[in-house]
Amino acid sequence: MKLPPVEYEAPRCVAEAIDLLAEHLDEASVLAGGQSLIPLLALRLARPAVLIDINGIDELSGMSATDGWVTIGAMTREYVAEESESVADAVPLLAAALPLIGHDAIRSRGTIGGSLAHADPAAELPAVARALDAEFVVRGPSGERVIPAAQWFEGFLTTSRRPDELLVAVRFPAARRGTGISFQEVARRHGDFAIVGLAVSLVLSGGVISDARLAFAGLSDVPVRATAAEDLLVGERPSTELFDEAARRATDDVDPPADLHGSSDYRKTVAAAIVRRGLRAATDNARERQ
Amino acid sequence: MTAIAAERYTGASIKRSEDPRILTGAGRYVDDIKLPGMLHAAFVRSPLAHAHVLSVDVSAARALPGVVAVLTGADLEAMTVRAPDPLLALFSTGGPTPEFSLLATDKVRFMGDPVAIVIAESRYLAEDGCELVEADYDDLPSVVNAAFALDPSSPPLFANLGDNIARPHSRNEFGDVAGTFAHADRVIDFHIDVHRHQNVPMEGRGCVASWDADLAAMTVYAATQSVHITRNGVAARLDIEPGQVRVLAGDIGGSFGLKIGASREELAVAAASRHLGRPVKWVEDRGENLTASGQAREESFDVRAAVSNDGDLLGLDVKMVIDTGAYPGMGTMVPDIMQAILPGPYKLEALGFESTAAITNKASYVAYRGPWASETFVRERVLDLIAKDLGLDPVEIRLRNVAARTDPPASMITGRPLVGVTTSEALERVAQIVDFPAFRRRQAQARAQGRYLGIGVATFIEAAPGPRGPGGGLGHESMRLRLTEDGIVALFTGQMPHGQSHQTTLAQIAADEFGVPFEQVRVVVGDSDVVPFGLTGGSRSATMTGGVALHGARQLKAKVLDFAAYLMEASAQDLLITDGNIWVRGDPASAIAVSEVARRAASGPFGADVDAKLEVEATYDGGEGGWSGGTHCAIVAVDAETGIVKVERYVAVEDCGALINPAVVEGQIRGGVAQGIGAVLLERSAYGEDGSFQSATFMDYLMPTTCDVPRIEIEHLETVPLDADVNFRGVGEGGMIVAPPTVVNAIEDALSPFGVRIYEQHLPPARILELIATAE
Amino acid sequence: MADITLRVNGTTCTGSPEARKTLADFLRDDLNLTGTHVGCEHGACGACTVIVDGRAVRSCLMLAVQAAGREVTTIEGLAPDGGLGTLQQAMWDSHSFQCGFCTPGFVMQATAFLTGHPDASEQQIREALSGNICRCTGYQSIIDGVLLAAERNRER
Repeated sequence: MKLPPVEYEAPRCVAEAIDLLAEHLDEASVLAGGQSLIPLLALRLARPAVLIDINGIDELSGMSATDGWVTIGAMTREYVAEESESVADAVPLLAAALPLIGHDAIRSRGTIGGSLAHADPAAELPAVARALDAEFVVRGPSGERVIPAAQWFEGFLTTSRRPDELLVAVRFPAARRGTGISFQEVARRHGDFAIVGLAVSLVLSGGVISDARLAFAGLSDVPVRATAAEDLLVGERPSTELFDEAARRATDDVDPPADLHGSSDYRKTVAAAIVRRGLRAATDNARERQ
Repeated sequence: MTAIAAERYTGASIKRSEDPRILTGAGRYVDDIKLPGMLHAAFVRSPLAHAHVLSVDVSAARALPGVVAVLTGADLEAMTVRAPDPLLALFSTGGPTPEFSLLATDKVRFMGDPVAIVIAESRYLAEDGCELVEADYDDLPSVVNAAFALDPSSPPLFANLGDNIARPHSRNEFGDVAGTFAHADRVIDFHIDVHRHQNVPMEGRGCVASWDADLAAMTVYAATQSVHITRNGVAARLDIEPGQVRVLAGDIGGSFGLKIGASREELAVAAASRHLGRPVKWVEDRGENLTASGQAREESFDVRAAVSNDGDLLGLDVKMVIDTGAYPGMGTMVPDIMQAILPGPYKLEALGFESTAAITNKASYVAYRGPWASETFVRERVLDLIAKDLGLDPVEIRLRNVAARTDPPASMITGRPLVGVTTSEALERVAQIVDFPAFRRRQAQARAQGRYLGIGVATFIEAAPGPRGPGGGLGHESMRLRLTEDGIVALFTGQMPHGQSHQTTLAQIAADEFGVPFEQVRVVVGDSDVVPFGLTGGSRSATMTGGVALHGARQLKAKVLDFAAYLMEASAQDLLITDGNIWVRGDPASAIAVSEVARRAASGPFGADVDAKLEVEATYDGGEGGWSGGTHCAIVAVDAETGIVKVERYVAVEDCGALINPAVVEGQIRGGVAQGIGAVLLERSAYGEDGSFQSATFMDYLMPTTCDVPRIEIEHLETVPLDADVNFRGVGEGGMIVAPPTVVNAIEDALSPFGVRIYEQHLPPARILELIATAE
Repeated sequence: MADITLRVNGTTCTGSPEARKTLADFLRDDLNLTGTHVGCEHGACGACTVIVDGRAVRSCLMLAVQAAGREVTTIEGLAPDGGLGTLQQAMWDSHSFQCGFCTPGFVMQATAFLTGHPDASEQQIREALSGNICRCTGYQSIIDGVLLAAERNRER
């Protein structure tokens, strides 16, 4: 399973990368961590004419926290984000999801931006980004624009990044007081992709749920917000009955894919179970964080 | 290496002599071999399960810079001759053999069937070349399950067979089957399925073949379980003498039955090397290993059990269908082996057994660690199902049915004597180690909280090598032992270790018998010009090779002492060898180093009455042989909302005779159990309805990891010694044989509140939820 | 093809690999360091694990050209002068391995893990090694080797 012939460019700055993207458009693939792209090349499932390796672009790394947002450079390695105290503090849902991504060696190379630009609907970070309404900062020949998560994920392995744009950073809102989170994952083995996963973020004020965000991994070709369940939860006090009903509403209309690891019905059943578990865990987490 | 000051090596967990190179990256596996002028091969493989090959256009591939040659199936037919599979030639039971070519010529018969070989300067370029080969196919209906294969309307895969039956239906009866069933209190019917899964060694198949045109000699660097069987296979296909082929094997990255003889691809590589006059390397990648190397265990069973109301299993009548894939090999032999030991350690009075082997559009059925393992799965599942029907405890029903150990021993209804079998002791010991009543209390508490724990037990025996008796002999094992000029006791064996640690265990035995330190013994393997015939497989080596090492070392010692007696002007009876020195009993000052005696022997000549050739050719017939066996117990936790199963605790009580090296034995057991857990929870070689193979990567074929296999508690029973000297028995396959029913029995126990009954071996999470839903 | 320079096991090495050549293949073919093994070529088995700039990495998922300027350690570079390091010795003492094919990947992954987590529990070790596949051992002996190495490191 050797990679096919491919041209290789290693730009040293974002501007150079954008020039290359503008030149090659759909014939180019951006090589970040490579943990998703290189297997596709090895299996000869992807055949780009050019690899644009952005590992040498220093300005794409680095994290900062300002004005209630945590901005993470696209080339920030997953293990760096995992070890970051400010991520643990300000974006606890991201901190909870990161250790579930593959294995240690994958996270040595894999990047926050790369995973989100690859947009595998069964991966952890797309669900987190969708739950938190993260913002995607892309830069192209005509400048920079910010794309909210709801518009970023367009389809299976497809984002709204234009072929001549580079994802340079992702912004996550800092968790408010009263936040409780949970990342639930049902996978065949430790470190595998989710068969179904759920990113949950709640805000409890005075014992009442004032904000509820639930985003599924593995239920569709993009991460999916369970808006019917979210609407139910806001304004209510946590209870088993409430969570059971939320689970029903979250999974009523879903039509998950079927594959070797589970039928559509199986995913639907498990999705409901992890809504119940995720809501309980997020509620407990909110109490612990106070 | 520092000298180990063990008084007796045998029975101690001596550190492996293999490890210093393994741990430092100095092992030599086939893909590490580099020869001057070496080329690399890759195969064009069929994307279809069943099709006529209309044309294969290799012109674009041949024109690619870096591609040296492209050979089609027809090209290879012209440069080789038809020959039977060498493993089958050894063990064949007769029956029709489909004729097939090394690469597909007019037909492809499974997805992945090789159609052309591209030989290039690098594997990268060879794969590029493969993409340029244009093969044109005419799709045929696929035969994707045995049921359709046995239907006369299914398109025959092989024209010369006329149908898709690899081995005609046969039936045998042992005991009074009709009478036993007529008089039984109950007759219960079951249908049990075992799914297709596979060996998956971490190193795939591969070889480097190097033809020397001047010498008309072929050297093959192989990954194989027998250098001689590989040699014979290569010689036969290339139509040369076995003496013109030398097979060398270094370190091998696992096999579990896969790498025996020479595969079609390896033979094609050898032919290509001869054709080009240059060395050619092929090492399969993971996709090839999963898709094309071969698979195992896809068998289905219709079982009738004749049972008494008290839980006596009186008789079994079994109809088996085995799916042997497209190029039948080992699969046709497996039913016979199963039939012979299906009764296990139990007092079965009657057995009816019939089998059919079907040909389908799948990769070939190959030997996989305990190829007959489904007999234990079927028997141990049936016992649990009967126990549930009758309200009996799973340990009790087994104790009730185990044949008592008598003298002379009882025999299985199929003929083999159950001599030295310690199944009852194993069952009782498991019940002592695992506090069943305490578990039942914990289980009840957990159920009240909506958590589902289960406990399962299964027992097995394995002919490792099996008892001497009316079933016939045990074959024999050869070894050459030599005291080399520099004082090393060298053992030349046809064993071909690929994880079994023979270079350590055989040295332990020889060191003890001969009287030298462990470091003064060297086990020589892996050169067909040098070692006697042998095969590592069937869990035979502990007895057969351990035995020939023991007796051979004694014979060599006697010879050396005769020579030493001449040197020391003493009587051989008065001489001892301890710790590498030969000395006269009672006179420590007389000691001469073994190495010195060896040096002197090499510096002859001596008189005609002095034998200074310090070498013996030993053979061993297995002595009294014996059974290995054991009882395993698993505790599982099943999440009834997600279907995820965790094995919480696993206990193995084993009797594998005397232990040569306990750490090695335990490693074999644990590795086998891990494969059994993998089979039940994770591993399946999946085919679609059109015959497409769906498990071609490690994202789809899931291997058990550190988080799937718990600590496995192992206890060794004191064995019943049968032989004065050699009571080591094989342990390589047992774990994989008995772990699947152990785990499935536990899962069924966990799900008993739902009324679940399990008649299959593969239980991924989705299936667990289905079983719960359909039982309710 | 570009010329690259990198440090491997403390030695400066150069090469001219094609861009598509993986680091695993570059180490094995161009530098003759065959201790790093290839088990799947899609990052799922860990057999090819090496250490790059202090982090465990799957060398089949890195291009050789991406290792330019980096510090790479392979199994051959772990132990001083043909001896055995603490982890290797502990694994020898624990009968950690059988066929040896997965061994270099496990040793490199465990080395990287123990450096950052010298007091890891068994469960943490299991999770850290859950991306390395072994077909022979059932893992217990490998875990025991890592635990023994950690204990010996603490005793120093």
